[in-house]
Amino acid sequence: MGNIHVDRKLCDNHGQCAIAAPDVFRMNDDGILEFDEGFADTLLDEVEEAIDVCPVQAIFLKD
Amino acid sequence: MSISLETPYLDISDPSFAMQSEQLREAREQSWYARTNYGIAVLRYDEVSKLLKSPKLSQGSGKWPDHNGVHGGLFYDWWTKNLLVLEGEDHHRIRRLLNPAFSPRMIKELTPRFQALAEELISNFIDDGECEFIRDFAEPYATRVLTILLGIDESECPTIARLASTVGLALGVTFKRDLEKVDAAVGELYEYAEALIKDRQKNPGEDFFSRLVLASRDGDRLSDEELRNALVLLIFGGMDTTRNQLGLAMQSFMRNPEQWELLAERPELGGKAVEEVMRTNPTVTWVTREAVEDFTYQDLFIEKGTTVHLFTQSSGTDPKAFPNPEMDLLAENPPHYGFGGGVHHCLGHFVARADMSEALPLLARRIANPHLTGGDEWLPDSGNTGPIRLPIGFTKRT
Repeated sequence: MGNIHVDRKLCDNHGQCAIAAPDVFRMNDDGILEFDEGFADTLLDEVEEAIDVCPVQAIFLKD
Repeated sequence: MSISLETPYLDISDPSFAMQSEQLREAREQSWYARTNYGIAVLRYDEVSKLLKSPKLSQGSGKWPDHNGVHGGLFYDWWTKNLLVLEGEDHHRIRRLLNPAFSPRMIKELTPRFQALAEELISNFIDDGECEFIRDFAEPYATRVLTILLGIDESECPTIARLASTVGLALGVTFKRDLEKVDAAVGELYEYAEALIKDRQKNPGEDFFSRLVLASRDGDRLSDEELRNALVLLIFGGMDTTRNQLGLAMQSFMRNPEQWELLAERPELGGKAVEEVMRTNPTVTWVTREAVEDFTYQDLFIEKGTTVHLFTQSSGTDPKAFPNPEMDLLAENPPHYGFGGGVHHCLGHFVARADMSEALPLLARRIANPHLTGGDEWLPDSGNTGPIRLPIGFTKRT
């Protein structure tokens, strides 16, 4: 199980994470990011892609 | 649409329309949006930020050829199938396959090559005390960054630059007149791309383009046609924009010489320099969206199909969001939208940010007091802007 932290001060709701890792990140009807803090290990590649692709680099893995 | 006639009006197709003008500043002061000759223009930061990412708006450039009386041909076919205008899962699938090659970790490895390239180009003119900045730096830098990404020989540069500029005519107000040239250039680019794809499929290397060719996810991969379309987009979207933005950066620093000195003393501000230039003087002057349904935003009813232009420079210098809107490399400013935003956020922004943030401090370290020497020529502000020719004089720094 991995854990995600999103810096909400940096997050600009572009939604690239929701494209890269739709099993973990999604945009609600108002265009605001929602995500699961914990995710299964099988989704790690997807989550790392979301971290990489974030235009403002606001996503981090928590230890 | 319920737009009152007191709303400011901007003729954005007029070649003399100026983004950085009193007219625009007054319009922004008066209202968050303006009427234009097609659709509305959003002028303020907060509204641009929200609408750029709004699910009520889709990418609005799909109809650009049709708006210009072009309804078929090679460019038309490419344009209507490329990532820029695709929506929904069609867009997301291709974006997921392209993303890994553009990741910041991959791009960071190229930093030493960007630095060496900048040093080489500067050394060619540094002893002359003058240069034509576009011809001698911005264009060769942008083109050769592309040859580095594609892993092709730099002798290909003139061909790539010519084809990219010709295809770029499609974004200008004279698109229809240039259609034959544009389609011929797309045809040449296709042939070039197809040969390159075949080569990398047979002989994959460690380069960026090999990574694209080999990219797969969950058993899915890009077809040859999708790869070709992506390569054309890379050339089309990556070259002119970087060249123009570097030219605009030099203009910005010539207007703000104390910022140039600061950058020369503190090269680690290269990244901030890119952000500040793009906030105050972006090459992409607006991002186009289209209403996918009727909706009301603030006081405005926006009808389905309405074109919405999100103005980048105007939003990036909005006094409501930036109390001191002037370029300032030491300021902690909110993000600009020079790379667009939302699902269509520029795919290549990590490359552009990385290459320009190396180029600018290296230039500042070698060149003092850059100034215009006359004969500069400019693209109009409508669409993608920047200098076509930028002759400058300078003092060589010792």
